[in-house]
Amino acid sequence: MTDSQSPLIVEDATIGYGRVAISEGLSVDIPEGEFTVILGPNACGKSTLLKALARMLKPTAGQVLLDGRDIHTQPTRAVARRLGLLPQSPIAPDGITVADLVARGRYPHQGILRQWSAEDERVVAEAMAATDITELGARGVDELSGGQRQRVWIAMVLAQQTPLLLLDEPTTFLDITHQIEVLDLCAKLHQEGRTLVAVLHDLNQAARYATHLIAMREGDIVAEGPPAEIVTAAMVDQVFDLPCRIIDDPETGTPLVIPSAGNRGAASRARELEADALVKDLV
Amino acid sequence: MSALSSPLRAPREAGRSTSLRVGGFSIRVRHRVFVAVAGSFAVLVAVAVWSAATGSTPIGLDRLWAALIHEGTKGDEYIVWTLRLPRLATGLAVGACMGLAGALFQNLTRNALGSPDILGLTQGATSGALVAIIVTGASAEVTTAFAAVGALVTGLFIWTLTRGGDPSGYRLVLIGIGTAAILAGINGYLLTRTSIIDAFRAIYWLTGDLAGRDWKQAATVAIVLGAGTLVIVFLFRGMDALRLGEASATGLGVRVGATRVIALVTASVLTAGAVAVAGPLAFVALAAPHIAARLTGSARSFTCAAICGALIVTAADAVAVAGIAGRQLPTGVVTGVVGGAYLIWLLIAHRKKGVLS
Ligand SMILES: Nc1ncnc2c1ncn2[C@@H]1O[C@H](COP(=O)(O)OP(=O)(O)O)[C@@H](O)[C@H]1O
Ligand SMILES: [Mg+2]
Repeated sequence: MTDSQSPLIVEDATIGYGRVAISEGLSVDIPEGEFTVILGPNACGKSTLLKALARMLKPTAGQVLLDGRDIHTQPTRAVARRLGLLPQSPIAPDGITVADLVARGRYPHQGILRQWSAEDERVVAEAMAATDITELGARGVDELSGGQRQRVWIAMVLAQQTPLLLLDEPTTFLDITHQIEVLDLCAKLHQEGRTLVAVLHDLNQAARYATHLIAMREGDIVAEGPPAEIVTAAMVDQVFDLPCRIIDDPETGTPLVIPSAGNRGAASRARELEADALVKDLV
Repeated sequence: MSALSSPLRAPREAGRSTSLRVGGFSIRVRHRVFVAVAGSFAVLVAVAVWSAATGSTPIGLDRLWAALIHEGTKGDEYIVWTLRLPRLATGLAVGACMGLAGALFQNLTRNALGSPDILGLTQGATSGALVAIIVTGASAEVTTAFAAVGALVTGLFIWTLTRGGDPSGYRLVLIGIGTAAILAGINGYLLTRTSIIDAFRAIYWLTGDLAGRDWKQAATVAIVLGAGTLVIVFLFRGMDALRLGEASATGLGVRVGATRVIALVTASVLTAGAVAVAGPLAFVALAAPHIAARLTGSARSFTCAAICGALIVTAADAVAVAGIAGRQLPTGVVTGVVGGAYLIWLLIAHRKKGVLS
């Protein structure tokens, strides 16, 4: 299903670290204007795929195409004006303020002569307003809560003004309220016309917010498509080894994954029996 | 034609800033950085003038001025133009080179200990100089060249060992510490293999001194400083973005590998130039960027680091010339004592995590 419209395409790529290939013969299209969510168990290669999409890793075979051309043959600053990346664990320099961090997003638009134009200033202010962190401008990034900090990082990527955004686990380590806050922000950015790709862990959140899902397992793509079509009990079991039922989310009508009680019941019963035996041994 | 950044639109910074915009040129000047740079520069000028006017034979400002505009006595002009100015110019350039090298290494490693002293470059320069002095019994020029080669080779060596890896954090620093230890051992061995006269020359070189430096040496360091500064002007923004880590920097369009290699080579060349001419003046490269960070409130000010380096060396040299009980000291003794004391004070007084790393 190669769509010539897709801004980002992975073509028959082998991606990995050194000699270790994580994904082989991988082909993916990131559809234009969609909110794509990548799902899969830990260490299945989600971040690796995102790094390949963001030109951090160069495929040893195949290629990644940005706007139809090999991403690695394009000037990296030009790519940075098309595609922004929020890595899984970004690093804030010690003592940096929120406004300063967001301003770093302007890097690909600046130069030796143009270091802080009126446009830079305006775009940074807009990015901060869009993520609701204007009030935090003078605060140190290290003083913020996890949710605030994640919004600051998203603001930095927004200040880059790219039509494409890649976000690696933007909600991990946030409490549920802040997870929803970040996802709502993503949904807003998507509605404004950006193409988003995010790695998420929560199946139900993915089903609710994504317009396009990519499910991965052991470096391969198991299923892709709109959540309503591909989120099935069989798919979840295949990807996560998790027996479950799928019902309609009463809020949104999107698929809602309900893990089966049977399995868990059996597992916890086994654990109880084990604990009983241990106690008996001790007594 | 400067526009003050509008308080309504501009995001608030830690401290105020002014945006200067003329045509296609735009820059943001942080008031605190500006004050720190201007202030330390004023102090530097004052120390330089004072040291030129006093020295071992105080001539005072009037006679200094007269000599400078070639209206002084022959004796004064000799003292000023042949003895003092070349030494002063060498000290300024050497200090600035070391300040920049230290700032580059600290940015590159994102580690407060990243400096040519810790990473082994200084020891590498020393090995080069010792080989020149002991094995070839060479002239000052050859010693200088060998020292420069020693620093450069060490820089390339530690880089080769970290290749493919992220040099930030403790990785490069630990490799450098190991390298420095090996080189210190080699240097000790070289010293035991020589005549007492060569050993004395070598120890003297090891301390670092500015005594007797001439215009040729000043020019050598000045050229290295100029070239290094030019590279940093182009490199600065990418290095700044690299402080966000490899992943974010790549996302922002920084050529991470190239930026790191160029930074490391530049820092090595700056170290090589400075150490080759003045010897391994202890602690300057380590302390200067720290002082600059404290003054500017930011670890990014290369300008202030260069000024602070020049200031430390110039002030230390003035003290060295004044000496103790009428005896002049090698400059390196003073930078070692003052720089070391400053560093200890810094670690004790500012344990709080902040602008240092
Ligand atoms: N920098 C790295 N070097 C070597 N192996 C890595 C590196 N990063 C990840 N891996 C390995 O690649 C595999 C996929 O990792 P990753 O893509 O990060 O998984 P996830 O799906 O959890 O994001 C894992 O087995 C992991 O150990
Ligand atoms: Mg991951």
